[in-house]
Amino acid sequence: MDPSEVEFLAEKEMVTIVPNFSLDKIYLIGGDLGPFNPGLPVAVPVWLAINLKQRQKCRIIPPEWMDVEKLEEIREQERKEETFTPIPNPYYMELTKLLLNHASDNIPKADEIRTLVKDTWDTRIAKLRLSADSFVSQQEAHARLDNLTLMEINTIGTFLTDSLNHMYKLRTNLQPGKEAGKSQDF
Amino acid sequence: MTTQSYLPVPPGVGMEENFLCLDDILLSQEKLPTRTECVFPRLGFVEKTSDTRDIPEGTKMEMPLWLAKGLYDNKRRLVSVEQPKIYRQGWRTVFSADPNVVDLHKMGPYYYGLGSQLLHFDSPENPEIAQTVLQTYIGRFRRIMDSSQNAYNEDTSALVERLDVLERSLFRTGQAGLNDFQRWEKGQASQITASNLVQNYRKRKFPDLEA
Repeated sequence: MDPSEVEFLAEKEMVTIVPNFSLDKIYLIGGDLGPFNPGLPVAVPVWLAINLKQRQKCRIIPPEWMDVEKLEEIREQERKEETFTPIPNPYYMELTKLLLNHASDNIPKADEIRTLVKDTWDTRIAKLRLSADSFVSQQEAHARLDNLTLMEINTIGTFLTDSLNHMYKLRTNLQPGKEAGKSQDF
Repeated sequence: MTTQSYLPVPPGVGMEENFLCLDDILLSQEKLPTRTECVFPRLGFVEKTSDTRDIPEGTKMEMPLWLAKGLYDNKRRLVSVEQPKIYRQGWRTVFSADPNVVDLHKMGPYYYGLGSQLLHFDSPENPEIAQTVLQTYIGRFRRIMDSSQNAYNEDTSALVERLDVLERSLFRTGQAGLNDFQRWEKGQASQITASNLVQNYRKRKFPDLEA
């Protein structure tokens, strides 16, 4: 998967905005989006929020987890635990990037938030690598990792599956009794 | 997007080679020390060192893997294959002590491939060879993962120097994952860029036009 594809999936998440225009309820295939009245908050998917913001038709309200103290708490907890801690949103990385790029004026302390999210990301990726390494070195058959997000899985995914494939093939060398046929089936 | 211009056939890492894989074709060119078990009449010209008309029994020659595999028979009438140095006891102890130290590129760039192919030639040491190859792979995995996932926008030739061909392809995959993510984070993922093929094609076309 591409990171862009993961970002596309992330854009389905809902976020609150305050529009400055009015519009009746719209009926989309994915669901209804409530009537828009200027000054009243309404929940919309991120793709619509970004689009409206770019046309300067709304103000985005940051999600409640996008707050300096909350993120600091999450970061500290991530550093203490050895396994992955549950994070407030399965698409935190993508949402941070999207919202901070397009709506940084609506989000207080945007730079600090960016740093904190990056720190949490780095810690989680380091844990992921440690776990992958112990997976390979102990030749386990399967591993279980809770609370991983799609973006993290995606970054390391191809590498890990390729190396595990190689390891599997080298392991089948150990089985005595080679196959009798040397032909290829293509 | 991470679409390649063609999808190469991956190497068969185990005992079977993939016929269409370029890496496996190059692997089959590796030389093995062999010993003939019977006379090869009128083939003396192949063996440059001796001037005899036939290759007598018991000559030690170096044969490429494809030839050795073809001539080898379970009843061992034609050739017998000795293991190259790095698969023998001495080097096996080195590998089990610390796999990260060895320069696998110098030791024959196809360590894993050749090791797996050697298992075709029956020898009592086969299980140990297979085990050493596997343990070397596992031992070096950590370093490959760390170096490929952390070297962004740097010259990686020093890191890749001591890796064998299989490890290099793994390194490239890791780098691709890292580069994709960094590109996305910088926002370049949604920019449309000309494909590599088109750029190269244009470079070659201009002189033709002007000529």
